[in-house]
This record gives sequence, C-alpha cells and structure tokens, in this order.
Amino acid sequence: MPENLLSWITLPWTLRPDTLLGATLLLILAALLGEVVWRGLRWPRLMGYCIVGTVLALSGGGLHPIGPPTALRLAIDVALSLLLFDAGSRLNLRWLRSNSLLLATSLAESVLSAVAVYFVARMFNAPMVVSLALAIVGMSVSPGVVLRVVSECHAAGQVSERVMALSTLNTLYALLAGRLLHGWLQVDSADEVWGEMARALFSFCGSFLLGAALAIAVAVIARRLDLRNENSTMLLLGFVLLALVIAKTLQLSTLLVPLVAGIWLRNGSARPWVWPRHFGTAGGVLVLVLFVAVGSAWSPAIVMEGGKLAAAVLLARFAAKTLVVVSLARPSGVSLRQALALSVSLLPLSATAWVMMLDLAAVPSPWVRELMPAFLSALAWMALLGPLAVLYGLRYAREIDTGEMGRLK
Amino acid sequence: MSLEPFARSAPFTLGVELELQIVNSHDYDLTPGAEDLLRVIAKRRTAADVKPEITSSMIETSTGVCENHGQVIAQLREVRDALVESAERLNLRLCGGGTHPFQDWSRRRIFDTQRFRKVSELYGYLSKQFTVFGQHVHIGCPNPDDALWLLHALSRYVPHVIALSASSPYVQGYDTGFQSARLNSVFAFPLAGRAPFMLSWDDFSIYFDKMSRTGVVKSMKDFYWDIRPKPEFGTIEVRVMDTPLTIERAAATAAYLQCVARSLLTEKPFQPHEDDYLAYTYNRFQACRFGLDGEVVDPLTAEHHTLRDVIRRTLRDIEGHAIDLRADDGLNLIRESLLDEDGGADASWLRATQAQQQYLPELVRRQCVRFEGGTLD
Repeated sequence: MPENLLSWITLPWTLRPDTLLGATLLLILAALLGEVVWRGLRWPRLMGYCIVGTVLALSGGGLHPIGPPTALRLAIDVALSLLLFDAGSRLNLRWLRSNSLLLATSLAESVLSAVAVYFVARMFNAPMVVSLALAIVGMSVSPGVVLRVVSECHAAGQVSERVMALSTLNTLYALLAGRLLHGWLQVDSADEVWGEMARALFSFCGSFLLGAALAIAVAVIARRLDLRNENSTMLLLGFVLLALVIAKTLQLSTLLVPLVAGIWLRNGSARPWVWPRHFGTAGGVLVLVLFVAVGSAWSPAIVMEGGKLAAAVLLARFAAKTLVVVSLARPSGVSLRQALALSVSLLPLSATAWVMMLDLAAVPSPWVRELMPAFLSALAWMALLGPLAVLYGLRYAREIDTGEMGRLK
Repeated sequence: MSLEPFARSAPFTLGVELELQIVNSHDYDLTPGAEDLLRVIAKRRTAADVKPEITSSMIETSTGVCENHGQVIAQLREVRDALVESAERLNLRLCGGGTHPFQDWSRRRIFDTQRFRKVSELYGYLSKQFTVFGQHVHIGCPNPDDALWLLHALSRYVPHVIALSASSPYVQGYDTGFQSARLNSVFAFPLAGRAPFMLSWDDFSIYFDKMSRTGVVKSMKDFYWDIRPKPEFGTIEVRVMDTPLTIERAAATAAYLQCVARSLLTEKPFQPHEDDYLAYTYNRFQACRFGLDGEVVDPLTAEHHTLRDVIRRTLRDIEGHAIDLRADDGLNLIRESLLDEDGGADASWLRATQAQQQYLPELVRRQCVRFEGGTLD
C-alpha cells in the first residue's frame, strides 16, 4: 500500500495511531504503562499494552471499522506466529496419553462451549452462520495471553500447565473448525462441495507439512547452536518468518503452521528446547504491538450494537468450560480449588480469534456485518478481563512466584 | 523437652530415605509439584511412604523396616514406579542427584506446613539454599549404647559413602569442581557436622538436656549431624549421602553400610576414640571434592590411601557379612563401579554426559530417564 506508507512518513505531526509519530508514541506509552502496572500492582506488563489499546478504542481511535493496515497486519501475524509457536512447543502429547481424563477434559470443554455458545447466539436470533462462527470463537482460549501471563509471572503448577495445554488444544480445534466453516461459506452450489473439500484438505495437509518442515529446520539448527543465545534466537525468528511468508503465498493458515511447528518440535524428539521468552527483544516489540492492536480492535459504537449478545455468549462459554473442568477435576488429578482457578483462567479471548475472524470476514458475505459487532464486543469485554482472569486464577491457585520481589536492584 | 527413650529395633535392619527432585517436562527446571504429587499418589498403597520436604519441588520417600538389600530394592522399585506414574499424570518428572544443576535457589517455595515455615523463618535463605537432595540410611541397633558406639565407629566410613553416592557436581549452572557439592549447603547450618563424642546413652541424655535447656534445640530433628541417633526408631541415621541417580545405587550404598555396621558391632575390630575425628573434616572434604579418587588419612597411623583402595579393602573385610545378609547383589554393583573407567560415581557420569550434550536441561532429562529405570538412546 504505497499511499498508506506515504501517509506514515508525510504526516508525522498528526497524532493518529496510523502515523509514524502516533505509532511511536503509542509504543512508548504501552511500554511505560506496562512497567507501571508491573511495579505498582504486580500485574503482567501485558496489561499495560492492553490498557493502551482499550483507551485507544474508547477514544474512537481504534482499528474498527478500518481494520489493521497492511504493515500492522504483518506485525500482528509475525507476533502471533511467535506466540503460537511457543504455545505449541509446550504441549506434551505424552501427557495426554498418560492422563486420558485431561484429553477428555479438553475435548469436552471445547465441544460443550461451542454448543452452548451456538444455542445462546441462536436464542438471540443470530443467523446460523454467525452463531457457528461465534461457537468456533467460543471454543478457543487465547494461548498468547495465557502464555504471556504465565511466563511473565513465573507461574508454575498444575493450573499453569493445564491452562497452557487446554488453550493450545482448543485453539487447534478451533482453527480446524474455522477452516471448514471458511470452506463451507465459499460453496454456492452442490457441485462446488468437492472442490472446496479438496481445498480444505490441501490447506490442512499443507499447513501440517509446512509446520513439520519448520520444526525440523529449528531442531537442526538447535542441535548445533544454543537457542538461549541472542543470535540463534534471531535465526529462529527468521525461520518462523520464512514459514509465515510461505504460508501466505500458498494460502495456508498462518495460525496453524506455527502452532503445528511448535507441537511437532516439542514431541518430535525427547530433547528439551529452551529459547528466550517471545524470542528476545525483537519478538517483545512485536508482541507489544499485537496486544495494543487487539486491545483497540473495537469501538464504543460497536459494543452498543453487539455488547449484549457478546456478554451472553461469553457467559455461556464460561459456564460450559467451568462445568467440564470442575466435574473432571478430581479424577484428572487436580483439587477443586485448582479446577476453579483453571476455569477462570480459561476466559481470555484475543488475537488468535481476531485473526481467525478477520480471515473469515474476508469471504465476501452479507452475514459478516452481523458477526463483527458481537465478535468485536466479545474482544472488548475480554481485552482487560482476559489477562486479569488468568492472573487472578493463578494467584488463587497459589502458582505465582514471589521470589523475584526480594531481588535487589 | 527431654530425650525420648531409645526404641527397640531388630539389629542391622535397614530403612532408606530418598529426597527426590520434581522437575517440569518443558525445560527440566525444578517445579513446585509436591502437593499435587502427594494428592495423586495418596490413592496408591505402597510399602514405602511418601512425604513432603522443605521446598515444594522436593519429595521424600522412605522404605519401611527392611531386613536386607532385596527388600530395600523391592520397596524402592514399587514406590518409584508409583511416583513416576503419578508424576506422568501431572506432566512432571522425577530424578535423583544431590543438586539440581541449574535451578535458581531464590525461586524455590517453602512447602506450606508449620514446621517448614518456622525453619524457613529461622534460617532465611539457607532454607531455600537447602533445596538439595540426600539419601539417609537408618540402621537398627540392639540398644542405645551400641547405637552410640556404632555411630562413632562408622565415622571412619563416612567418606566412603560420600564418595560412593556423590552426584552433585553442578550448582546454579556451574561446575563446582566437587563430586558432592551438596554437603557444602548442609555445613552452613549451625548444628551440622559430627556428633559429640559420647559412648553411653546416659551421657548423651545429659548432653541433650543441657542443649535443650539453652533453647537451641527442641528435638533430635534440630541436629543436622552427619550421623545422628534416632531414638524413636531405635536406629542411627547416616545422612551424608547424595541421592544417587538410580534406586539400585541407593540400595547398594545402604547394603554397604549395613554390612559395615554388622562387621563393626559383631567383631569390634577397633574402639572408637575422639582422636578418630582429628582428620574427620579433612577426609570428608577429600571425599566431597575428589570422590573415589580422594585421599583419606588414617589419624592413628598417618597413612594416606585413596578412597577407591580403602573401599576395595573394606569390601573384602565385609564379604562374610554380605553373604549372611544377602547383600551380594548390592556390593557387586559397588565393586563394578570401582573398576569403572570414567570414575565410577554418578557425579562422573553427570560430567561425562554434560561434556557430550553441552546442555543442562538435556542432562536433567537423562537423569530422569535413569531414575525411571528407562533406557537412554
């Protein structure tokens, strides 16, 4: 978008988020606020970024209705790839095999929350397609928010482990279901069904193969270089970017590829892989941009329109997830307290769902106009509540480390 | 509080306690999983017991009273398998080793019980630094006087079992140069070290009462001695060993101590003496620093020998008792390890593995595989 880039450079004095000066100031503000909430309230820095996004949206300077410009969309895709790759790389499939009730929890909470969301949306007279899209959104929990809160707070324990595993799994299911819905929406007549199915299959297989290729490439470099060092991290970042570009070119899922790559890497060999959180400083800036952007994805007007439906849908989702998690808690090896903490931690809704819905919305279809108010309102409700829910869930489960507080400067 | 009476126990029976590391399966750092593990394993019945330890990334298992090496192995295997299975359900792993090679001590959390909170308040950072993992062996004694006699006679063998069990070369991400660096954490405690030289239980009771009146100690638990009497069980407890990497090694070390104890008490080849302690801390240092290659001094003859030679000689001396106690399998494991090219102790294996892998998380993963009884690729 040459005009777009031009406006970034020629209008630095206009204080809008889509100018270079505006964007830079936002970046500084988010970083500052992140530090303030960390020092003052012991909230993860991520909260600072989300607050800046929310204020931006409230003031009408958010990304709705224009959507993210191309340059920003690229930053979002890269940041999200990093987070999903990281989330995938923490999913231990052996754990699911040895604790089959955890796998059952995952399947049941995903299915039940999708069903609950679907029926609530239908009760609000939402069209079927819109209800289906919301059901898919309701299934998933943002692995990015979960991962960031867990790692920023150095949380460790069953709730941390399980919220990471469950959010990664339900995001995986949601991505697969979302692709199917995407295909189904393209079908105009019965003749096209087979063609669409083939395309969906190509997308799945392609994403899995590309993900596997990325994982193998990372494993090969990691064997020779230590991933904990800054330069190797840059190399890792480069590989993730490359996979992203290839996925875009082949029209594969930019969300599925990094997630599959992470899972593949973690489970392909027994050797542990450790790299710095969000790939060092470069990744950190991207993650900041991502959360400011998601936080500002809505507008007050749209919440007036879809806020009620969104609230109902989120409540149904919370009830469904809680019901499953709590009823399977004891046999799967956690206490009631931990199960409650886990249920609360399963609230976040964020960038993954957003990008998924943006991709869906790219399909020219009249119902998109009906989906977006409810969906963006849900994002708005969860912008601050989501990360806080994880934080307080983990605190309630006593999984947050306080050791760092005693550290001298 | 005065000292409790010395309970009766069958002579030369054994009890083994192992403190184990709880690590996560992602980066293999220590992780606070004790409470979850205890909850899950509570449903299982095992002959050996499972208990919490001072920080929440440690767990302790202790066998019941065993008569011989075979029983120790059987009980440890049973509880090991139950623990490993429970840990798997929680995405946790367990391993031996006297220290975690790269944990950050400040991140450890105190396990929430009244006693641990009190200890933590008193000792401050020492209690978190105390996230080290040891093996304790109880030996049944016929009566309290024999217990004290054995306690002091065994002091000469303390360096042997330190060298045989050494498995803590790495601390906080660095090679300490020691085979067993764990004991350095224990020495920091004010009541650590050797027990005072007393051979009669009456004298010992008077000593305990005096100490108790000062308010410094309340129970035998407050003494962190290398070997201490445990009147409640009617045993003495040898506490200098690192938790070895495998339960086989742990059982073998216990069998070695059992045979030595039996030979000492039945043959009384020498009388323990205060002068035995002249070189005690020096010899112990040699064992910690150099393991089986350490050189110990006989304080009476002033002769120097490597621990490898001294242990070899001891194995010959206790052969008859090994047969009586059916400890052969255990002692053979020790015999073989003395011949081992790369040093023979677990610490040497850890160094060799790290030299090859150059990656501490992978080292810990391999420790887990060895503890679980699996095979390494």
